Amino acid sequence: MLAAFADPVFDSQRNFRELLQAMARPAVPRELPNLPPAPVPIIPAAMAILMTLCDATTAVWLQQPNDETTCHLRFHAGTRLVDDPRDADFALITDPESMPPLDTFAQGEMRYPDRSASLIVQVPDLRAHAGAYFAGPGIRQTAQLAIDGLPQRFWQQRAAIATRLPLGIDLFFVAAQRMVALPRTTRLLES
Amino acid sequence: MTPTYNFAFLDENTKRMLRRALLKAVAIPGYQVPFGSREMPLPYGWGTGGIQVTAALLGPDDVLKVIDQGADDTTNAVNIRRFFARTAGVATTERTAEASVIQTRHRIPETPLREDQILVFQVPEPEPLRTLEPREAETRTMHALADYGLMHVKLYEDIAQYGHIATSYDYPVLVDGRFLTSPSPIPKFDNPKLDHSPALMLFGAGREKRLYAIPPYTQVESLAFDDHPFEIQRWEHQCALCGSGESYLDEVVVDDCGTRMFVCSDTDYCGEHLAEAVA
Repeated sequence: MLAAFADPVFDSQRNFRELLQAMARPAVPRELPNLPPAPVPIIPAAMAILMTLCDATTAVWLQQPNDETTCHLRFHAGTRLVDDPRDADFALITDPESMPPLDTFAQGEMRYPDRSASLIVQVPDLRAHAGAYFAGPGIRQTAQLAIDGLPQRFWQQRAAIATRLPLGIDLFFVAAQRMVALPRTTRLLES
Repeated sequence: MTPTYNFAFLDENTKRMLRRALLKAVAIPGYQVPFGSREMPLPYGWGTGGIQVTAALLGPDDVLKVIDQGADDTTNAVNIRRFFARTAGVATTERTAEASVIQTRHRIPETPLREDQILVFQVPEPEPLRTLEPREAETRTMHALADYGLMHVKLYEDIAQYGHIATSYDYPVLVDGRFLTSPSPIPKFDNPKLDHSPALMLFGAGREKRLYAIPPYTQVESLAFDDHPFEIQRWEHQCALCGSGESYLDEVVVDDCGTRMFVCSDTDYCGEHLAEAVA
């Protein structure tokens, strides 16, 4: 079995600070400083987020579970793995082309919009200063970000969910060491 | 540093719970996220919410500043600073510009904050509607429906009674045009600093078990009326120590005859301004 963080306290603290800044400053890619080993098909950056945020009190849904990944997560984080994406606090998308529709996941309740899923989506590449423009809280004017490997329907589904704010789904995209967040409030601007 | 505690006092499960709640708080600006507030080695009302948020943030490279009503040298600020110096071994400072995390009780520093700084507020009552509606179930519904007429009525009653909006601290704000939010009991003088701040601002209420956030570069509007626009306090005086005419002033009674002096509430700003004036 693979190891997890070499130093659980400080590795997860450093990763969390990057995740917090990523969520506070959407559409700006950042590097995760501490990546643990991860079994296929999970990449280390996605595993870093799961190890930083998940434990026995969170329900995790894996798009492509296998024995090795489930054992790894149960052993190192004690996470509760769920079969139904609707029950997930965190969902790991390892193949965006075949991911379930976004509105499958929990979007919270009007009184408790925080009871919503956070998605970690593994993509081939993400780049700043290219692609689409985004705006919203945390973005000074606009931010430009290109995310590869997402089906066109993804953005249509996300736009449909945005009409239900403050309900919604918060997204982390990871590619190699890089990570970028798109919280529910970040709007994709029509170019 | 006291090695018998986990780093920054809290256990890792608690930190993860706080971190998940903080991420949701940032994702939903101004919305109060419930969290499992822990018993801390000091009573509720002494900043337990802020301390828990700070504990979830802190790493060994951080430089922590703690202020109480703007001052670095009052009991609450000294205690919290020493608490983290002992349980996390972090460097501490009184200089706003040197800090990476600033925990505050009831003020925002006068020195403009930067993008790489995080401001953590200690919040006694996170619910701005609580004095108007005591039932949590009702205030939750009001937030869900963005039904904030009651707060406008309260401000209107101020105008009807006093001729102006008499609320001078904990002045309600609307974050990102959606959630009515308490800025914590900061003077309304500080409200404009919330709007499009470069620094991330996190709020923790330990007794009420709620935390919330205002992300950077987010619209924060202090409630007002077209014919009674929002205004901040102004003084006829200047700081008796440094001579600043721009900072928030505390009125201090200095003898038994009722003699008063006005001094900056932000001690770091006052000291630096004084040093500049002397140089």
